Amino acid sequence: MLARVANNLFWMGRYIERAEHVARYLNVNYFASLDAPNELSQSRQFVLQSMLFMADDFSRNGNELNEEEVLYDIALNPDKHFSIINYVKLARENANSARDLISTELYEAINKFYHFVLNYPVENFKKNGLYDFSVQVTENTSILRAKIRGTLLHDEVYSIIMLGVNIERATQIIRIINSKYKDAVIAQGSYGDTLKNSYEWTTLLKCAESYDMMRRFYRQTPTSITTLEFLILNTDCPRSVMNSLNEAWEHINDLSHEKHPSKNSSAFLIGKVRAKYQFKVIEEIESDLQSFIKNILDDLNRIGIKLEKEYFHY
Amino acid sequence: MKSTNNNPTFKSYNRDPQLYDEIFDENDNVRETYETLFELYSEHSAKDFGRLNNKAKASFFNQGITFQVYGDHEIKEKIFPFDLFPRIIDAEEWKHIEKGVLQRSKALNAFLRDVYHGKKIIKEGIVPLDLISSSENYLDQMNGFDPPGGIYNHISGTDLIKHSDGKYYVLEDNIRCPSGVSYVICNRTALKRALFGVFNHYQAYSVTNYAENLLEILETVKPKGVDVANCVVITPGIYNSAYYEHSYLAKAMGVELVEGQDLFVENDFVYMKTINGPEKVDVIYRRIDDQFLDPLEFKPDSTLGVPGLMAAYKKGNVCLVNAPGTGVADDKAVYTYMPEIIKYYLNEEPILNNVPTYHCSRPDELKYVLDNIQNLVIKPVDEAGGYGISIGNRLTEEEIEKVRQTVKASPRKYIAQPIMSLSVHPTYIEDSKCFEPRHVDLRTFTLLGADKNFVLKGGLTRVALKKGNLIVNSSQGGGSKDTWVLKNNH
Repeated sequence: MLARVANNLFWMGRYIERAEHVARYLNVNYFASLDAPNELSQSRQFVLQSMLFMADDFSRNGNELNEEEVLYDIALNPDKHFSIINYVKLARENANSARDLISTELYEAINKFYHFVLNYPVENFKKNGLYDFSVQVTENTSILRAKIRGTLLHDEVYSIIMLGVNIERATQIIRIINSKYKDAVIAQGSYGDTLKNSYEWTTLLKCAESYDMMRRFYRQTPTSITTLEFLILNTDCPRSVMNSLNEAWEHINDLSHEKHPSKNSSAFLIGKVRAKYQFKVIEEIESDLQSFIKNILDDLNRIGIKLEKEYFHY
Repeated sequence: MKSTNNNPTFKSYNRDPQLYDEIFDENDNVRETYETLFELYSEHSAKDFGRLNNKAKASFFNQGITFQVYGDHEIKEKIFPFDLFPRIIDAEEWKHIEKGVLQRSKALNAFLRDVYHGKKIIKEGIVPLDLISSSENYLDQMNGFDPPGGIYNHISGTDLIKHSDGKYYVLEDNIRCPSGVSYVICNRTALKRALFGVFNHYQAYSVTNYAENLLEILETVKPKGVDVANCVVITPGIYNSAYYEHSYLAKAMGVELVEGQDLFVENDFVYMKTINGPEKVDVIYRRIDDQFLDPLEFKPDSTLGVPGLMAAYKKGNVCLVNAPGTGVADDKAVYTYMPEIIKYYLNEEPILNNVPTYHCSRPDELKYVLDNIQNLVIKPVDEAGGYGISIGNRLTEEEIEKVRQTVKASPRKYIAQPIMSLSVHPTYIEDSKCFEPRHVDLRTFTLLGADKNFVLKGGLTRVALKKGNLIVNSSQGGGSKDTWVLKNNH
């Protein structure tokens, strides 16, 4: 498999995953805020601020935000590098360059998805299209995941894509936690609730499509501890950071064929990062969440760089 | 016998008695081969065809079988128009075509070997020296070199038309990087999806075996000493208008699709950069033009090619398909000598007709051309894609004068031919929602390998969608049709 094409497929996986998380974040936060129990969580400015934080746009800090503009920028503005339309465009371009390696079914699904986003009527979106648009985006990404798993050979092509998907998923989950944690801190006490029992934890879980299963697992209202534990450490939760690291570990092993990966390899690094979090307890993490977030984002970043050097360097 | 008026979707079908109509004879009766199909199509209403037409379009669009059009503000994706009425070639007729195109490909290969070795055909005065000495496509680098397997034009695309006399004529031999074969396969898929029922009534050859035959041909020309050949397809990249075809062929052959940047040359061997390090490459089916192959030998600023590729090729360590320098033989001036070339190398009579041609480089013929522009087609010898062609009877006095001056200024650059009337075929027209006659041609695909050859039983029937237009190229608004070659005469 060509190194250049491997790089493109890795990023195809990442962009698909990223588009999905951003779309769900928009959807869940917007609609959760409409009937939130406290005034601050209901405030438009508060929600829009949070969306921009998640999308990584800090260009308008401190300014009064225009709802239509913010939603358009994140969803459909082709000139914003952080927009969903841009991620889908990039995913499709990457798929294009590997068209001979992926199945017709996967390519056709990506292509349809691209045309759906590209042709989404902007006026409709601005009027009342947010729900429809974001749901369709997340449904399309589910289709893509199914086509990846169900129509590709589970060989190196698959491993590369899945490495991209899992590293991006871990990154996005951390970013969502970061964003919602910040919201919870700001919102605390505004309606008598403490940080521990903030309404934002429910929203956070829904952003990760993990609310129902979390309730099933703990059988109680989410708190800061249980939410973080579920999303970071629970190996059975498909969206948890730990699960993503486990998957990445599996796929790098399929790719590298080495029983004892050398110290400088990506496999070694992924294994090392995974081991670091495998036996952490949540209290440890929660006591200094900011440092944890910074560290794990660094770790994920280092893994990306390592993979690039080892496999995509051309 | 069915005539045109029984069928509502044929209500605006006006047969022009001057032209050869592929499905109606001179008495407006449906030709035997098409009878069953015509009957089957009569069962569909105009509305049905409108719906099927949209369905076929969506199928191409979703599969991403598109090309890009650069507009004022944005890049638009367009599909190559596909027509719902297939072209049928019966077994007898096809046998003739197949023999003819294979003969031409073999003769061209022999011609190329001669041109780059002893140049006997010139020394014996069969073709003039300036035919190759003044050709921009002649490559000094190929002089005296023997390509692996002795093959130059592994892949040939031959363009044929049927004239008003009902006979096939060859219009062009494309032996550089002929494209279009992927559309042969897509058209079949699209027609099957839209009108699968009609296939039960005809025994047509499958066209999906092209890729496996191409791979076999590539393997026959592997460099000496190579056991299992590592073949790749090289493409200029995803923005090339034929990228879909490049990716299709790579996928169907199960080989890597590479760009120039994926390859490098070390000690005159070619390698591709894979995730597990360098991997040697033995045969390259290249879909980039000669001038971009190797910046060290040709255009120095080309980023599409691979530095050192020609050196590796000349050492015999890698095979390029088609060989560099084949362009010297698909020149429109060489075309005019094809009957002589076939006789000279194969000692056979040409099976397919050549269109009579006037060489503007010859003074007496130039005079005839300059005096008769209104009755001729004037073509530049080295343009592809139907550009630069002037059709005499479509020009105003003023335009004729302009063409006359251009030809006079550089006669070597032009040839002229009588205006051939391409046959017409019923084609679904979106505006009228009816079938109307439109001009068609046929591109066949021939493969030559060491001790193996193959002609795809089918081809690309291109159709000029604009009324009266004779230029079928997709870059000028042409569409295409599924083309059936029948196993038995119908």
